[in-house]
Amino acid sequence: MSQNTETVPDNRLVKGDHDFASITKLISDIPQERTPLWWYIAFGVSNIVLAVMIAMVVWLVWEGIGVWGLNNPVGWGWDITNFVWWVGIGHAGTLISAILFLFRQGWRTAINRFAEAMTIFAVMCAGLFPAIHVGRLWTIYWIFPLPNSMQLWPNFNSPLLWDVFAVFTYLVVSTLFWYVGLVPDLATMRDKVKGRISKLVYGTFALGWTGGNRQWQHYEKAYMILAGLATPLVLSVHTIVSFDFAVSIIPGWHTTIFPPYFVAGAVFSGFAMVLSLMIITRKLYGLEDIMTVDHIEKMNIIILVTGNMVGFAYVMEFFIAWYGGVEYEKFAFINRAFGPYAWAYWIMVTCNVVAPQFFWVKKFRRSIALTFALSIVINIGMWFERFVITVTSLAQDFLPSSWGYFSPTYVDVLTYVGTFGLFFTCFLLFLRFLPMVAIAEVKGVMPQADPAYYRSQNGNTKSTDDS
Amino acid sequence: MGKEQQQSYWRSLNELAQNEEYKKFAEREFPENATELSDGVSRRNFLQIMGASVALAGLSACRKPVQKIMPYTRQPEHMVPGQPLYYASAIPFRGNLTGIVVETHEGRPTKIEGNDLHPESGGRTNSRQQAAILELYDQDRSRRVRRNGSESTWNNFIDFCRDHFAEPGRNIAFICEANSSPTLQRLRQQAMSRFPNARWVSYEACNEDSLYSGIAMAFGERLRPLYHLDNARITVSLDDDFMQESDNNVRYIGDFAGSRAVSSPDDEPARLYVAESNYSLTGSNADHRLRIKSSEIPQFVYALAARLSEQIDGLDAFSGHSNSFSGHSWISVLAEELIRNRGQSLVTAGAEHHAGVHAAVAAINLALGNAGETVEYLEVPHLENDDQNQAMRDLASDMRNGNVDTAVIIGANPVYTAPSDLDFAGALEQVSTSLHLSLHYDETSRACDWHVHRAHFLETWGDGYSFSGVRSVIQPMIQPLFDGKSEIEFLHALLQGEEDSGYNLVRETWSDFIPDNFESGWNRVLHDGQQEETRFTAAAVSLAPGFGEQIATVLEQTEAIPDEAVELVIKPDPKLHDGRFANNGWLQELPDPMTKITWDNVALLSPNTAERIGVPPTRKFGDPKMEVIRITTESGRQAEIAAWVLPGHADNSITTYTGYGRQQIGRVADQVGVNTYPLRTDENRLFHHQVQVTTVGRTYEIASTQDHHSLEGRPHVQEADLDYYRENPTFAQDAVYVPGVKEDREHPVSLFSDQKFPAREPQWGMTIDLNSCIGCGVCTIACQAENNIPVIGKREVRRGREMHWIRTDRYFSGDERENPKVMHQPVPCMHCDNAPCEQVCPVAATTHSDDGLNQMTYNRCIGTRYCANNCPFKVRRFNFFNYTREYLTTGDDPEIIQMAMNPDVTVRFRGVMEKCTYCVQRISRAKIETKNETGDSIKPPDGTVKTACQQACPANAINFGDISDEHSIVSTEKRRDRNYMMLEELNIRPRTSYLAKIRNPNREIS
Repeated sequence: MSQNTETVPDNRLVKGDHDFASITKLISDIPQERTPLWWYIAFGVSNIVLAVMIAMVVWLVWEGIGVWGLNNPVGWGWDITNFVWWVGIGHAGTLISAILFLFRQGWRTAINRFAEAMTIFAVMCAGLFPAIHVGRLWTIYWIFPLPNSMQLWPNFNSPLLWDVFAVFTYLVVSTLFWYVGLVPDLATMRDKVKGRISKLVYGTFALGWTGGNRQWQHYEKAYMILAGLATPLVLSVHTIVSFDFAVSIIPGWHTTIFPPYFVAGAVFSGFAMVLSLMIITRKLYGLEDIMTVDHIEKMNIIILVTGNMVGFAYVMEFFIAWYGGVEYEKFAFINRAFGPYAWAYWIMVTCNVVAPQFFWVKKFRRSIALTFALSIVINIGMWFERFVITVTSLAQDFLPSSWGYFSPTYVDVLTYVGTFGLFFTCFLLFLRFLPMVAIAEVKGVMPQADPAYYRSQNGNTKSTDDS
Repeated sequence: MGKEQQQSYWRSLNELAQNEEYKKFAEREFPENATELSDGVSRRNFLQIMGASVALAGLSACRKPVQKIMPYTRQPEHMVPGQPLYYASAIPFRGNLTGIVVETHEGRPTKIEGNDLHPESGGRTNSRQQAAILELYDQDRSRRVRRNGSESTWNNFIDFCRDHFAEPGRNIAFICEANSSPTLQRLRQQAMSRFPNARWVSYEACNEDSLYSGIAMAFGERLRPLYHLDNARITVSLDDDFMQESDNNVRYIGDFAGSRAVSSPDDEPARLYVAESNYSLTGSNADHRLRIKSSEIPQFVYALAARLSEQIDGLDAFSGHSNSFSGHSWISVLAEELIRNRGQSLVTAGAEHHAGVHAAVAAINLALGNAGETVEYLEVPHLENDDQNQAMRDLASDMRNGNVDTAVIIGANPVYTAPSDLDFAGALEQVSTSLHLSLHYDETSRACDWHVHRAHFLETWGDGYSFSGVRSVIQPMIQPLFDGKSEIEFLHALLQGEEDSGYNLVRETWSDFIPDNFESGWNRVLHDGQQEETRFTAAAVSLAPGFGEQIATVLEQTEAIPDEAVELVIKPDPKLHDGRFANNGWLQELPDPMTKITWDNVALLSPNTAERIGVPPTRKFGDPKMEVIRITTESGRQAEIAAWVLPGHADNSITTYTGYGRQQIGRVADQVGVNTYPLRTDENRLFHHQVQVTTVGRTYEIASTQDHHSLEGRPHVQEADLDYYRENPTFAQDAVYVPGVKEDREHPVSLFSDQKFPAREPQWGMTIDLNSCIGCGVCTIACQAENNIPVIGKREVRRGREMHWIRTDRYFSGDERENPKVMHQPVPCMHCDNAPCEQVCPVAATTHSDDGLNQMTYNRCIGTRYCANNCPFKVRRFNFFNYTREYLTTGDDPEIIQMAMNPDVTVRFRGVMEKCTYCVQRISRAKIETKNETGDSIKPPDGTVKTACQQACPANAINFGDISDEHSIVSTEKRRDRNYMMLEELNIRPRTSYLAKIRNPNREIS
């Protein structure tokens, strides 16, 4: 190594004066402490909102799809918009845990558990919509290839069928991945908790983890394999969701750019959602040392990158519509920007393309308040992106005689709002009962995890914080 | 079918079943468990039963409801369960019969088709005739005799009549709707001889009296003009919407379409000129259309007659006349065209225009040598000899003065429809005894002492003459559902004080018409639906002696119309007519041919006029809220009605339709639209020269089925002028570039392997000739009747959920401030060979059959709506709610409406998709019959399968058949140069193709 070069060390991932024990205590104390008042309030509100959702779904199934604002050209409205939006949000978790794991991004450890939980709950919310959007819910099992005496099989040409498989696989693998990662921490919880029942429950799910060398070896291999399995899924789920649109012949849907564009959009919205949740949680639980401003900045960079990919896709769609020379395609895009749904289009562009540009500036990237605000704005924008794609393409397609306009009913709105009830009910339960940060993995990225650490520091655990 | 034989008919499924349980139930006042609740022992019993029934309810909720049916113990002749029987009959409307054939299933009529043998039908129908079946099964029809509003009986009524009409000196006024029945005329003569002080008024709200008076002015006789549009090269319609309003419109539409048929570039289609204020259906089919106010039509005709008088004889009465239209470019062009086509031209004018207009038109037709060629003047024996509008006017004043002691109102509803200045309701109060026969307990029924519920024409015997004088018998198809009485039974009972069946009355009359061998002649008439060689005689016409003086008076009275005055035109509704069809859900939900509005009437006006009044001249896309305007006539009568901007409407003119705004008629009619009759006065039947119009400052929601009215330059509807077509015969096929087709490949390459269609199967295909289609919308109603399509109501239509399997798209092109052209395009499912809907259905609920149908398997459908999203034609219809259940199980007697259903077609549950099937039930029936006859072939001979839309279409625009048979009509049509496929460039390979429309404009104008 030349004398003229110098290694610029990364900022330390865990701030503050922490050793292994203090990290364990910080995380594992949260489920053992008295439940804070704000949690009860938040949980109560979430439950009420969830109840609203259930009421809306029951009403929908009882009365028929007509309680939504759908009409003849627009057969899919808020239902599929919400589905794609929630699935998109569900992308961040697996991306952070699997892809960043394979790329050895140590900073992922602070947020991966948290993001994976969010993923699972988001996919649950997403999965609700394809299920309830069918006209006859009681026959929905016909989409599964179940052997039957009539020799009736689903139509394997249909992207909707692929979609079912893709989302279902994603949910299963994400849940498995999350659970495998939880096992060492569940063992920690088992060892820490006092109550007999909680000991039993944590112990059951910890699968007899003792932290032995052999166990760690198996664990690391399993985790690596699952990461390898989950990585293509991150790309495939939204690719296949985009096929629902891209495989059809409707102008505005029938677009080859959709798979990468949807995946980028999904990561974009997923990271925004992780940020929104994280910024509140780290404050409430005092986890600023683990989920640091450095993490926020790194995530903002990903948002900036994916946001610009999405923006590029918007431009590209227009270019191809013009370059392709298909009259209907041209109209579909001009109509998006200047037609009856122009308001939705420009909300989308403002939120998704203009808003992330703030993150070119380091100061803004590191501003917690701005990040929080923009993360919300981005998720609004991404919802509108899906709305614009789904609804505007259907509302004005080939035959001008059939053109219509979609307006949601209160059932549409409350069902969507209600899914937040489902999401936050699950999420609050997660915060309350499970270690929200991967304790074992965070320890792995602390300086103390370096086998040479104690020798070089002479056992002095005092760190030199440089921020 | 005498009284003796009628027992085999039944009114409801339960009555048919007549099992012990039902009888017990009917006898008990309360259901079984209700009375047993009172004692304690059976309360336990009750709980047991409740427990069981809750359990059963849980089970039965998963299954279809079970109804018991019983077989025939004595099976009527010819009746094979499951096989429909067809009977000839005739449908009366405003006194004119049209021959029909009624399909009946196990004794209940389910569908009306035209009678091939009948000249006014030719096997075709219009939407009113198609919808008559629903009128029969209208639950809201009156079900009982009422006296002063409270229930009475038919026998009480007869007793009353026996006493009341015993006095021959009574001053009786018979007010009867237009009726050509010889039996009724016979009874009328009896009545008039029995009661010397009686008078008879033939009353129709929208009538042709002015037309007859005009012809009497010209020819000295009240004669009925019968047009032969098939002989006319040039037709000039002056505010005459003959395709919609004429009683003979089925025939006229067919003749018109035939006269414009283009099978090759060498053909010479006829030409139509229309001058009108409203943009009417007829106007939308014109080659040239002039927007003028209805109040300017008289001047226009006189100017035309004056110009013609310069070159031809017979119009001297007009020579020298000049008015503001004399210099109009249209006058010289029309004069030239008419003279060039002498004997092959035709001028018509709207029936309610001033008599002078009709006199002028008759004189023009005579002078041009058209009489006897393109127009015949028929002597109609049952036509009244004097002006009935005048008769009604006199009657109203006599009633008010107490000179009438008994009013007998047969069928008509004058309290609602009579001109408002007659104040008929007030006049009726001065009459001591009033009797009313009507289908519904309507406005007039409420004002009368006695109401007798009328039987529907499908329930009773009757007779009458068609427009051209063909004599027919009306056969009942079913026992009267509510024991109603026909007009002849009513009148007979009233006169004789005893009941006699319509059957006997009609046969008695017909014994004169069939002098020898009565029974076989009678059976022949019933079988054919008409008596052979009956027709009104055409009069040899010549100008009446006093014609010149009368015209001179008329011309003197013609006043100049100030340009800036806003006129109001009141016309009968294209669907509900004068309101008599207001309780018919099919008609209410049928989109108006021009505006596509359902469930409402509006004030139609041009964009310029809208702007002048303060109404936004363009609609916001997707916004159903329309500005409401207040229209005030000179006499201070007012109506508030939603304004609708109709491009192409004449400026400074407002058109409204009658027949809406009903109260307490029925669940369909009530509260729909605005009653415009208060604006209609005796003097101003058709139009007011000048009205005051202001905006009210509120809006009203209108349910229209089409929100966008421009084609946006897209090639879906192909049309060309004749000259262009002659230069480019294949212009329609060349409109879009389809990769591969030009290179002599049959189709572009597809990602999926092509379906192989077996040779033993027929391959169904359809053509729709846009050159023939006039856009009337009868196909929609015929399809609705055939395929059990529910009525969903205004709210659902406004949300864009209409269920019609075939719709008629209407596009405007050109300057919407001036005179835009209109194109009509019926759109059913295209049955694409490479169907986008089939590829995306996750459960394979929509698939392709071996005979090329795009099938929809309702049972397999889970309702993702993906197929509808991916359908480029948007012809798929989704059951957003349980429409069929709402449609078929509401009301007190849902079984009545259920009887209207076609048993060959499944009714659809909520949550499933549905669409046009090419009438697969008819295809299957024909295939089975062919197989039975031939032993192996399942290819029905060409022409045996007719889809409902095809069969009804009066313009013969739709052809259907086997495209694998190159001699079939549909194959021949598809080989025509005008044939093109909509959205062919998507490689979806539709089986339904269109034939481009050819317009025949006059080069000198355009």
